[in-house]
Amino acid sequence: MATLVAVATVMVVTLLIGLHGVAAMRTTSDFLVASRRVSPLLNSAAVSGEYLSAASFLGVAGLVVRDGVGALWYPVGFTAGYIAMLILVAAPMRRSGALTVPDFAEARLASPGLRRLSAVVVLVIGALYLVPQLRTAGLVLSVVSDLPYWVGVVIAGVVVSATLALGGMRAATYVQAFQFLVKLLLFIVPALWLLVIVGPHVRHEAVHPVEFTHFPKDTAVEFQVDATLTFPEPVTVRTPDGTETVLGPGEVRVDANQTLVFPKDTPVPTVNGGGIPGGEQWHRPLLNLSDYGHPLLATLAVLTATALGTMGLPHVLMRFHTSPDGRSARRTAAFTVALLGIFYLFPGIYGALGRVLVPELYLSGVTDTVVVALPSRVSDDWVGTLMTTLLSVGAFAAFLATSVGLLLVISGAISYDLLPGGLRRLRITVLLAAAVMVLLALPAAPLAAGMLVTWGFTVAASTFCPLLVLGIWWPRLTKAGAVSGVLVGLFSTLGAIAVALFGPPLAGWQAILITQPAPWTVPLAFATMVVVSLRGQAPPWSRTAMLRLHLDEPPRDTR
Amino acid sequence: MPHRPKRVAVTSPQTRLAHLRGRARGRWRVPRLDADEAERAAALYLAQRRQGLLALILGVVTLVGLPLVLAVWPALDTIRPWTIPVSWLMLAVLPYPALTALSFWQLRQAERIERR
Repeated sequence: MATLVAVATVMVVTLLIGLHGVAAMRTTSDFLVASRRVSPLLNSAAVSGEYLSAASFLGVAGLVVRDGVGALWYPVGFTAGYIAMLILVAAPMRRSGALTVPDFAEARLASPGLRRLSAVVVLVIGALYLVPQLRTAGLVLSVVSDLPYWVGVVIAGVVVSATLALGGMRAATYVQAFQFLVKLLLFIVPALWLLVIVGPHVRHEAVHPVEFTHFPKDTAVEFQVDATLTFPEPVTVRTPDGTETVLGPGEVRVDANQTLVFPKDTPVPTVNGGGIPGGEQWHRPLLNLSDYGHPLLATLAVLTATALGTMGLPHVLMRFHTSPDGRSARRTAAFTVALLGIFYLFPGIYGALGRVLVPELYLSGVTDTVVVALPSRVSDDWVGTLMTTLLSVGAFAAFLATSVGLLLVISGAISYDLLPGGLRRLRITVLLAAAVMVLLALPAAPLAAGMLVTWGFTVAASTFCPLLVLGIWWPRLTKAGAVSGVLVGLFSTLGAIAVALFGPPLAGWQAILITQPAPWTVPLAFATMVVVSLRGQAPPWSRTAMLRLHLDEPPRDTR
Repeated sequence: MPHRPKRVAVTSPQTRLAHLRGRARGRWRVPRLDADEAERAAALYLAQRRQGLLALILGVVTLVGLPLVLAVWPALDTIRPWTIPVSWLMLAVLPYPALTALSFWQLRQAERIERR
């Protein structure tokens, strides 16, 4: 209950900041003008604050419990993305003066058509990124408050859209930077506390994984989504009101929103055809995607998507424009790598402890709640409650920071790039976009957050990455080349996602290349852009348009 | 005082986006550079491209090399300094200082090129 109150407080404060935003901006404009030289360190804290989403705060640890230690490749890719950004995009993009990729497309190639196409891509990326945020927020709310999942999703959607529609994202860089520090503290302090309090026995088990084959004690599993369990032998389970049912052998479908108590020493069923936490593959430091095998290919596929996709994320690109010039944009990217590196040292701790202490979460099909479930498992006094509260607040801060930014980018793309509009229409668009996102998030609960977010990265990597990289570094890029490359990248990725969601079940390396298509969609998009451009003729000003992006600003006087 | 920069309000980029786009966008113009600028821009472009490629290759070698090493030597799972498998440390800890070092090196080189 205390947790729910704390989470509600975060939501109310966010709403108040939104309401207060307009007035605050006018009266403190001098203060804001004075802060024109946003230092790269402050700005990189703000970038990290916006980037660290619910998927990072909760999702990575959940994936470690479910898929194994190899899931830690996701944060490596998330961090490496800022190196690609630093090397290829940060300074020239800032110097172009374009705030978004649609702007960049128009500035570099003078093509309104490409601008609209880019806006559509922004919508796709935004949806693939926002849906898992809403889903995770809904799951956390349902865990800390016993509300059903759909209520949690609706509440989350209402809070985000209300914040945005009332005040917009007026809060300046300081709020985001402050949020980063909050998230960092709320993530690190409970992790260290957990490491100390679990004791030497659990710490030993955490680094010596054994397969989770039998329930070590009577274990209650709360099913938040429908799950298909496969029992090797019949098992008698109890519901909390005491009725006993025999499940299995074989496949049994368990409906959402019920709790089953598995007695001590009964064998653990497998879920949705997947493996078992702590099993043969769990401890391997390579990514084990849904037991498809080929861990090296899976690892490289996810690395490609995340490292190359980061530079195309619309809400992150925009952050770089708080830097006063290209030089500080570059510094911002470099410092962001260091800051993310600190944060991402910790999801592994939650994952390793979660496998020991709450492996049964895996049965419920939803492991993202492992981070908030851990403290109450090791301590039932006020400290445990406090830590659960801190983590829930941090998760919500993460969710809100990312979602508000994403929703504004989506609404901006609709109401400015695709339709002519004004502020009033923007506000209505925000509400409509949020409603659509909530509807999409409702059936998304069983999908892994990691998979959905990686799809967002994959679309960015197969569309905006080639557009930005070739636009900035290759003078011969033409309009036709850019448009066809973006189209090919977009449709090949969406096609693969559609097959993964609705197609026949796949196995082996084909399954990896369909569920994580970056290794072939990215080269395909690059190749299309290059080949089509070479068959055409770039306009005479093309080289100047590109060189302009590399010209540094005159050095600032250092008063 | 040599060209004192114009005073600009710094707000969230999203806010600025909304403000900027609310006004009518200026008509697109052919980009121009004067002769000095064009020469400097061309030199910077070539130098930065060289440096960028080098950094990119280093990054790719690191990020592709590490999974390869882990795949080829599964024995790394059984070496346990402080009881933690060395392969876990190579995945959960090692990449971050390595990536940070690479990014700071690239930053230094890129800024050195622009100081010339």
